[in-house]
Amino acid sequence: MLHKFGNTPSELTPMRQEWMALLARAPHTLLNDIVKPYIESKQTEWLRRPETGLMMIQARVGGTGERFNLGEVTVTRCALRLGELDDPSPVGVSYVLGRDHQHAQLAAAADALLQDASYYVDLEVQLLEPVRQFLKQQQTSRQARAQTTKVDFFTVAREVSSGDDGEVS
Amino acid sequence: MKSQELQNVIPGFTHEAFGSQAVFRTSLNAMSYPGRPLEIPLDCALPSLGHGAAAALLLGLLDSDTTLWMSPSVREGDAGPWLRFHTGCQVSDDVNNAQFIWVAHSDSLPQISSMMQGSEDYPDQSATCIIEIQDFDMESEELVLQGPGIDGNCSLKVLGLPDAFVEQWQNNHRIFPRGIDVFLTNASHIVGLPRTTRISRKAKA
Repeated sequence: MLHKFGNTPSELTPMRQEWMALLARAPHTLLNDIVKPYIESKQTEWLRRPETGLMMIQARVGGTGERFNLGEVTVTRCALRLGELDDPSPVGVSYVLGRDHQHAQLAAAADALLQDASYYVDLEVQLLEPVRQFLKQQQTSRQARAQTTKVDFFTVAREVSSGDDGEVS
Repeated sequence: MKSQELQNVIPGFTHEAFGSQAVFRTSLNAMSYPGRPLEIPLDCALPSLGHGAAAALLLGLLDSDTTLWMSPSVREGDAGPWLRFHTGCQVSDDVNNAQFIWVAHSDSLPQISSMMQGSEDYPDQSATCIIEIQDFDMESEELVLQGPGIDGNCSLKVLGLPDAFVEQWQNNHRIFPRGIDVFLTNASHIVGLPRTTRISRKAKA
């Protein structure tokens, strides 16, 4: 079981929180295409190699009510630093659903790069925006698919007739 | 843990499983042969303050169920966040309730009797204390060790042992099966002193 470690939510800037969430859900191919060229020239110093474990996730009844343990999910996490030791660059962290170690590595590398303002501008356009689009599209298509199964229940109102029931005696 | 501390964390064992197993094996040997200095494999980046052997030993022994107390001069350094990150241990301010105690060379030793001693039923619930000393095998005070794991008696020369340690240790031995276990460390070696070991000062000739 992975024990809790890392930044408490209040310490993360909302921006970093958002991009970490995006990176965790980004499609693998997109991450691979965009992030890989950036990190090829850099050395990866591992603080924590990708490791897979279980995490208890909690939910609230009806979205707002009491908390309860929903179940355990498989999570892969890692932490790394890009570049050389004498040049302290930011630490990148990722927590990704599933067992894809490479995804975790790419997401952590992207997190490290995004904390550097000079990379942020480029990556925002090349990476984050496409991921947002992808997730939006995914949601829309999922919604559309669900929509087709929607059933409208209605009661057929009995037609009001004047006089008798139409039965001829 | 604050995000600033995370930015300064250094790597742990090069290979987590092998590194911690090698450290654990060495600590087992040290406890099996009290008084014998053993070289500890330093297969990890080391924090800036404190002895490397003490840091590596703790990195191998701690896990998320343990609490660690550090003496003031190591607490100031980067060792705390480093151990917390790699092992998940809780860093505690309360020496009386810590399962592992790390006393830096420049700090005074807290009273051994105030540390967790375990109970008669659960003597395992006692503290393990890591005390940094200057060096072994020097022209310095000679201690005579007796007890399980020692054939007859053996001598241990320690430079920089806290003054009251021998007297406090005798009290620690008296309350057996309760009592703490100690590792003495210099920069690269550790010496195990389980609670069963009797220590006396060698009479000056």
